[in-house]
Amino acid sequence: MDPRLGVAAPRRALLATAVVGAAIAAVVVGGYAVGGALAGPAGPPVDVAGVVRVQPLSGWEIAGTFEEPPRVRLTRGGGNLDVVAVPYEGPAVALAGEYVDAVLEPDARQLSVSRQAEPVALASGLPGVRIAYVGLFGKAEAPIEGEVTAIVSPSGVGAVFDAWGAEGVLRYAVDDVRTMIDRAEIA
Amino acid sequence: MSVALPPPPPSRGLARHRWAARGTLFRLRSPAFWLFAAIVVVTGLVSIEQQQAFRDLSPSGWALSWGLLAIYALPAFLLVYVLDLYEREPLSLLAGACAWGAVAATTLAAYANEGWGLVVARVGGPEFASRWTATLAAPLVEETLKAAGIVLLAILAADEFDDVLDGFVYGALCGLGFAVVEDVFYFVAVFGGTPSGVLAGFWVRVVSSGLYGHVLYTGLAGMGVAYVVSPRGEEPLGRRAWIAAGLFLAGVAGHVLWNSPILNLFPSDTRGLGDWLRVPLAAAAKGLPLLLFVLVLVRLAHRRERRWLATALRSEVGGPGLTASELGVLLDPRARRRSRRELRARAGRRAARLLRRLQKEQVNLAMARARAVSPRDAALARQREYCKSLRDALEAIPGAAAAVPAHDASAGAPAGPPRSGP
Repeated sequence: MDPRLGVAAPRRALLATAVVGAAIAAVVVGGYAVGGALAGPAGPPVDVAGVVRVQPLSGWEIAGTFEEPPRVRLTRGGGNLDVVAVPYEGPAVALAGEYVDAVLEPDARQLSVSRQAEPVALASGLPGVRIAYVGLFGKAEAPIEGEVTAIVSPSGVGAVFDAWGAEGVLRYAVDDVRTMIDRAEIA
Repeated sequence: MSVALPPPPPSRGLARHRWAARGTLFRLRSPAFWLFAAIVVVTGLVSIEQQQAFRDLSPSGWALSWGLLAIYALPAFLLVYVLDLYEREPLSLLAGACAWGAVAATTLAAYANEGWGLVVARVGGPEFASRWTATLAAPLVEETLKAAGIVLLAILAADEFDDVLDGFVYGALCGLGFAVVEDVFYFVAVFGGTPSGVLAGFWVRVVSSGLYGHVLYTGLAGMGVAYVVSPRGEEPLGRRAWIAAGLFLAGVAGHVLWNSPILNLFPSDTRGLGDWLRVPLAAAAKGLPLLLFVLVLVRLAHRRERRWLATALRSEVGGPGLTASELGVLLDPRARRRSRRELRARAGRRAARLLRRLQKEQVNLAMARARAVSPRDAALARQREYCKSLRDALEAIPGAAAAVPAHDASAGAPAGPPRSGP
């Protein structure tokens, strides 16, 4: 900038404008780029009943495995992902409904479930549905919020991914969870 | 008796004087203008969609939100506008700063905060992120995006950033625009959007906290930008850049403190009158230190501006453009207002308007003086004569002559060299 005229010389003005534009772009998209780079796979893939395979992202670890139905819980700092595998013949939305009725509802007080199921598709092309819920579970006084993703494969495997966490925490786990679900392999 | 107002001096030569020219945002040859305009237009479309969604969600709450925020924003705009005691900034640039904050910065920040929140979550985990994302990501993202708009304005209209106070005005109005749109979001999406929710939000975010937020943060960044581009900076560019970075970081630090769980005295729930009354006290605990810091800086900027004006005009005293008593009045904004008030009472509104114009042109004379290479500079001489002609016209109005200070006998003599440059 010409300090006396206070008018930027054209080339300098163009350069300065380009620098500001680049800075704006870096701030707006930089977080996604850095966040994406941090979301690398960590550890070996996790098998659920030999039919669903999930690759944990960095920071996620197995918190427990359960039987009847076969279930694996992955966790990271307040965010959780339960992966359930069952034999199932029927639409994914019905599987999601049955999961709510059989797993969430019995343990919940004041359960509220989204009225509409959002269609989703995995990277492999398998379609499914996603619903959200919030409620009080067990003896806890703080509400839990979550989202259930149900997928049914053509070979009759029903996979339910239940991502949950304390209210206000889930939103910070949801990108990781959706990435793991998206990359999941279902027999 | 009819008195014809003297025509302004030829624009050629004077047109480039910072205070003589009325600047504009619409500088079509500047690449910064096109980047600025493109971002505002594109983000404006997104912003309109968002406002339509809020309106559909809660028509009464949305309308009430804007109504209440107008009560806050209009006086705040005027307050910031009149802070610049000697020269008011062009309205198109002020509107541009406001629009950048309201439309561009809010929309871009919504995307950017999401992305950097992802980084915090992936580094620290979801629980850590739920507590610290607002502290670690939002302040730097939002302050950078708001400041970027002020930098674009400074590139396209550097001639309007005369001193740090100008930067504060642009920055504060950018912050005001941001705060208003963010408040609408909070009123509708966080406080529920019902009339009672909106009123609660207004109490918490505007009545209790309205003095502390984005206006201050971006005002500081604007001061920094102006400190770098202002022609009055006497320090080397490197030092000015460091001071600008310090001012920017002071704004970020204020924002970090505001968003952080540190010093959080806000009630977790508002069940009774006592809880509601605690809100402004809690807001003051977080925001008051920065407000005081900014007030001190603004005061210092005023003094710096006054000192600069006095230095620039000292050698003009006794010339055709300025008398000693006129300089005394000119340097004191209150005295300037008082002189116009008294003249209006004695000689009418027209005389007061003419005196206002004379005073404004005498401020422009300071710019002409500071920029002149020689005391015999043609543009400077024209500005002196213009001031003189305004004074002559004023003296010709019945009742006004007594109010205009007697002219120095040395009028017309070439003034000496300036004591110090800009």
